[in-house]
Amino acid sequence: MSAADIELVDLHKHYRKGRIDIPALDGLSLTIDAGSFVAIMGPSGSGKSTLLHLIGGLDSADSGIIRVGEYRLDRMSERQLTAWRSRHVGFIFQMYHLVPVLTAAQNVELPLLLFRMPARERRKRVATALEVVGLADRMDHRPNQLSGGQEQRVAIARAIVTDPDVILADEPTGDLDARTSQEILQLLSLLNAEFGKTIVMVTHDPRAAAFGQRILHLDKGVLDRDERNPARPAAAAHAH
Amino acid sequence: MALPLVYHWRNVFVRPTTTTLTILVVAAVVGLLGWILGFAAALRGSLAVASDTHKIIVIRRGSTSEGTSALPPAEFNKLSQVTGVARDPQTGRPLVSPEMTVQVALPRKRDAGRTTANVAVRGVDPERAFAVHRNVRLQGPVFATGAQEIIVGVKAAEQFAGLRLGDVVNLGFGNDRGYRVVGYFTADGGPLESEIWGYLPSLMNAYSRNAYSSAALRVAPDEDPQKVIEQIEGPAIQLTAKTEAAYWHEQLRLVRGYLVIVTGLVLIMSVAAVCSIANTMFSAVAGRTREIAMLRTIGFGRGRILVGFVLEAVLLALLGGGLGCGLCLAWLQFVGRTKDMLGASSFTTLAFEIRLTPMIAAVALAAVVLVGALGALVPAWRAARVQAVSALREG
Repeated sequence: MSAADIELVDLHKHYRKGRIDIPALDGLSLTIDAGSFVAIMGPSGSGKSTLLHLIGGLDSADSGIIRVGEYRLDRMSERQLTAWRSRHVGFIFQMYHLVPVLTAAQNVELPLLLFRMPARERRKRVATALEVVGLADRMDHRPNQLSGGQEQRVAIARAIVTDPDVILADEPTGDLDARTSQEILQLLSLLNAEFGKTIVMVTHDPRAAAFGQRILHLDKGVLDRDERNPARPAAAAHAH
Repeated sequence: MALPLVYHWRNVFVRPTTTTLTILVVAAVVGLLGWILGFAAALRGSLAVASDTHKIIVIRRGSTSEGTSALPPAEFNKLSQVTGVARDPQTGRPLVSPEMTVQVALPRKRDAGRTTANVAVRGVDPERAFAVHRNVRLQGPVFATGAQEIIVGVKAAEQFAGLRLGDVVNLGFGNDRGYRVVGYFTADGGPLESEIWGYLPSLMNAYSRNAYSSAALRVAPDEDPQKVIEQIEGPAIQLTAKTEAAYWHEQLRLVRGYLVIVTGLVLIMSVAAVCSIANTMFSAVAGRTREIAMLRTIGFGRGRILVGFVLEAVLLALLGGGLGCGLCLAWLQFVGRTKDMLGASSFTTLAFEIRLTPMIAAVALAAVVLVGALGALVPAWRAARVQAVSALREG
């Protein structure tokens, strides 16, 4: 599957809480190059997670353009977005969100159940994904038999098993200790460097953000700063 | 493809207490439903075999059953005037069977004889009775006309103690005449199987009767039974005549009423089962909001989520259904397959053999699938409407 550029133009998104109007994104424009690793930082309420949800087709903007590769998400119906997500995006959450009653392999297999794919092929892909994250020997373990780091690895395997263009990670290390966080971030870097995945990661942690080639700082729904990370190979990226 | 079955199966057991309670509620409904369907089938079976259209039961005008009817021989003899009655091919005599019915209280087997119930004892002339009651078949010898002997319907033998071969049953006005059981008979599962038969003159003598209770009459195959009934009820004879089907339909009125009441009970319990499943599924959805949000996020559509939760509820209901069928089978096996009920106006016991056939079990399980699906509908709808973004934010 080919990687995709992400283009956001003049995005507006407001939430209503009773009579109060809360702006989450206020005219944000941004381009993220295919195959880059971008970290998004900012204080709570700055619009980081909203931005991630819009790129992932989980939410719709009030106005503006959202393009991921050849797809105009802002023009797609909920049903189309659901189908698109299953093929083009992998999600990684802070709390892993593994299904407790399923084994690691069954959790990783979940996204593949949405495809017409023979069971043999599914098993092969699951095994490969778990091997990539270093958990080939934990296939039959349930989440409660795994450590937090291992659970997040399973979640990463679930995110990559469909070979998506884009991986969206929302505070993927927020619930992990420093050492395990490093391992997870190294794994994400590997997915970016070796497999060419576009990674967009929301984080509060500057040490985690340092793994990105580019660090975007959001504040009050607008792009406050756009930094290139000199410690990582530069990615062709720019903000409007 | 939908979510894997193992996902739903394992989730059913995540909340053991509510799941167990729901399974028990559903099991109770299915157990009772299986029992009632079996009973209804037995009742239908009884009516079906007691629906010989060419057999007519004659009682005194104004009587509602054989038990309350008295038919003096002079009245009975009038029946020989009726045209359209079948005749014995050898003797040429009309096939009319004089019969006397009394009730005797016998100890029930099901509570080891602690309670008794009324059993119909029918005095018959075997030669004529077997020609008229064609579905009655002997298992063993018939009673001897010169001895105090009886034969017992197989359902009566199942229900009551002291009716084994060789047992002596005290009959007669003073309960002082011992009649020995010499054989059994079947009647295609019909009401006659709940009776005891003996020789008519002997029993009339024992009960100091000089009138019969009723007459059973066989209509010739090519004659219209209705015309025969019109003659019997007409001014020349003035007796009451009913086809066997009409007679037993009337006698089973109480049983049908009982079935209606129990069916109502099952319906009320079904509503409770639907509520119980709904409650369990609401808990399941509430406890798995973030999981559902994750599934929505990775591409599972609302339809798949809805179907998944309905399937989970159906699995839960089927577990209860399986247990219910098992309980019903165990009940029938260990407590007894035979249920006795009083006839509407005869006050004698009619026994019904209840069976949980594969078809009845299938119907009960189909009903349980419906109960499960109904119970799951609103919670599953709620699950399908989970807003992924809000649910993930809460996480």
